[in-house]
Amino acid sequence: MYGGDEVSAIVLDLGSHTCKAGYAGEDAPKAVFPSVVGAIDQMEVDDNTNGEKNSSIDSKAGVKDSERKGKRKLYVGSQSLGFRRDNMEVLSPIKDGVVMDWDIVDSIWDHAFRECLLVDPKEHPMLLAEPSSNSQQQRERTVELMFEKYNVPALFLAKNAVLTSFASGRATALVVDSGGGSTTIAPVHDGYVIQKAVASCPIGGEFLTDCLLKSLESKGVVIKPRYSFKRKETRPGDFQAVDVDFPNTTESYRLYSQRVIASDIKECVCRAPDTPYDEASYSNIPMTPYELPDGQTIEIGADRFKIPDILFNPSLAQTIPGIESFAEVGPNVRGLPQMVIDSINRCDVDIRKELFSSVLLAGGTASMQQLKERLEKDLLEESPQTARVKVLASGNSTERRFSVWIGGSILASLGSFQQMWFSKSEYEEHGASYVQRKCP
Amino acid sequence: MEAVVIDAGSKLLKAGTAVPDQAPPMIIPTQMKRMLEEGSAADSPVVEDFTVDPVVRGCIKDWDAMEDLLQYVLYTGLEWEEGNEGQVLFTDPLFTPKQAVKEQLVQLMFETFNVSGFYASEQAVLSLYAVGRISGCTVDIGHGKIDIAPVLEGAVQQISSKRFEIGGLDLTKLLAQELAKSNPTVNLNISDVEKIKEKYSCCAEDEFAYRKTQETNEIEQHTLPDGQVISIGKERYTIGEALFQPVILGLEAHGIVEQLVRCISTVSSDNHRQLLENTVLCGGITAMPGFEDRFQKEAGLCSSAIRPSLVKPPEYMPDKLTEFSAWVGGAILAKVVFPQNQHVTKGEYDETGPSVVHRKCF
Repeated sequence: MYGGDEVSAIVLDLGSHTCKAGYAGEDAPKAVFPSVVGAIDQMEVDDNTNGEKNSSIDSKAGVKDSERKGKRKLYVGSQSLGFRRDNMEVLSPIKDGVVMDWDIVDSIWDHAFRECLLVDPKEHPMLLAEPSSNSQQQRERTVELMFEKYNVPALFLAKNAVLTSFASGRATALVVDSGGGSTTIAPVHDGYVIQKAVASCPIGGEFLTDCLLKSLESKGVVIKPRYSFKRKETRPGDFQAVDVDFPNTTESYRLYSQRVIASDIKECVCRAPDTPYDEASYSNIPMTPYELPDGQTIEIGADRFKIPDILFNPSLAQTIPGIESFAEVGPNVRGLPQMVIDSINRCDVDIRKELFSSVLLAGGTASMQQLKERLEKDLLEESPQTARVKVLASGNSTERRFSVWIGGSILASLGSFQQMWFSKSEYEEHGASYVQRKCP
Repeated sequence: MEAVVIDAGSKLLKAGTAVPDQAPPMIIPTQMKRMLEEGSAADSPVVEDFTVDPVVRGCIKDWDAMEDLLQYVLYTGLEWEEGNEGQVLFTDPLFTPKQAVKEQLVQLMFETFNVSGFYASEQAVLSLYAVGRISGCTVDIGHGKIDIAPVLEGAVQQISSKRFEIGGLDLTKLLAQELAKSNPTVNLNISDVEKIKEKYSCCAEDEFAYRKTQETNEIEQHTLPDGQVISIGKERYTIGEALFQPVILGLEAHGIVEQLVRCISTVSSDNHRQLLENTVLCGGITAMPGFEDRFQKEAGLCSSAIRPSLVKPPEYMPDKLTEFSAWVGGAILAKVVFPQNQHVTKGEYDETGPSVVHRKCF
């Protein structure tokens, strides 16, 4: 039991793109940083004969790899990642929604507590947000890591969809969480996720950024990462960007830096089109200019609408040169409105009406302009006649990005929640598998 | 009675009654020496005993020492009378831990000192108030830490703010190292190096000029208090350069302007122009000759389309504003907050406890 007022809980949401952490009771997370890390394999530095391919970190732990893993230096946080280092690979701990590399997760948490929030995890109960369809094994691993390494006094694992519906003040809703790595549709009824109706698809913000990047490249625009150029003053008052070459930069780092710029372009310029995209009607629209960091100005025309429409019509991605690998996954992936309808149809008939009238949008990608209107329109067309469709999204785009975190902040500061914590003594008595009972 | 504004930095504590367009009446070092007899600390270095730093890297760490220091400041320095304590405004650096520091401070002020009112505000916002802005970006280069904070309409954008655990202290150590290399026979004390740094250090015009200074050797002679003579040449420029090229300090990071630009790039792009064009420098080191010009020069070379530009302080403000701009901003804020009763009163504290500070002061 922990009194809500005395010690505030910490809410931690490790997403596929960014990690959000902060104190419960506040209206925005204090620490937001990318959930990828830079890793320099120390063996390479000592060895010097191996190429970059040898940092095989995202394979499953084997004896050989765990020895090498011990000699890996990790750089976490946007500050450390922003500095280009030789041979630094950019790695993500999460693959397809499942945590693969617990060392990286550990280092991310450590960074959040010790360097961003400046707290001692021993003193604060933790509320962690987890994906709506998380396996028992992952949950037990999380619980173990938190209790054993960080010695937290109490813990709770809450599903993303449930937290989003709390953030909007509803106990029953259909949550469309469109984040960095994937889009997940989960119906929530009375605070519990209806597992059989959860659907997810790999199209998320990062995929859209990649599409934009490839599309711009095919048009001849080269996005130079920030580290690759330097400004020189050719004449007083006249600055020119000169290319600087760093041969030891890994491919993953270069891609990472380019994606940062491309995702900024996407956020500024892209809008969801009102009608499904087709090449002919959008070929004549006026171009929008955008200034890249190196001073180059590019014009973006049809891509402004094409990229967001990939959410609604995934087969569009195949028309972009360079996204061939998507074709394998392509046929099975349906557009967003279709997935919403399928998910609702898998629920009990009684609650379908309520779900249709409370569709919540959450996640970074969902803060795209006009997305709410387009989704509402498409759903109205495909839903049964009697259903009243309403898509809700908070007006503020920061709130949409952090709605899972905000829901956690609300939950952890409720007086009635304080008895639901999974405490350390219960962990010691019953073991990690008790989490299934305490955190449904 | 006027409210009192206290800005406790890692090196200097600025305190005084809230009179906005003047320098703070009390600027004293935060560092104290502990005398062996009773364990009570005094401000003057009398005996070579161990030094106590209540404020480390911007955060209050040693509460007993802080209490003694505040006692000196409030009762002796500002001449408060016991039983008739007034209102106090404190400044916080970025990312101050809620329970460990903020709540403790409130508790200390109300229970030990019995103040009648309390308010706390962030240094970044106050520095902007001192130059007459409510939106902009503050680059606070202090003794213990560097804070880069974008502020929009008086609210610090926590997500985009950055803090670096390097500051004047590390630069002093660097200078001590460099001087020891070129003057191996001289015995140097950190406080002497500190004074040398304040007197001689300056900033080269740009990278090429810096490289030239490393090659030439214009040496100046300086006499230390104990009589030894030390020669200072190219080390003068090293300190300023270290802020723009942290490689000199052994850190893998970009220079201060590049860090500023990257910070801002995480804020939503509608606000970029407003933030970058209202950049405020504060902190003692920024008063170094040549620093502002170098900053402007580097701003032209940074990897951003919009260039940062510095704000000129208003004419009615005292000259060396950068050294205490947070205090001046606090004085301005105190004039607004206390008369309008937006502060935490003793009654509210008694009723709710220390956590009331999170609700009333933001």
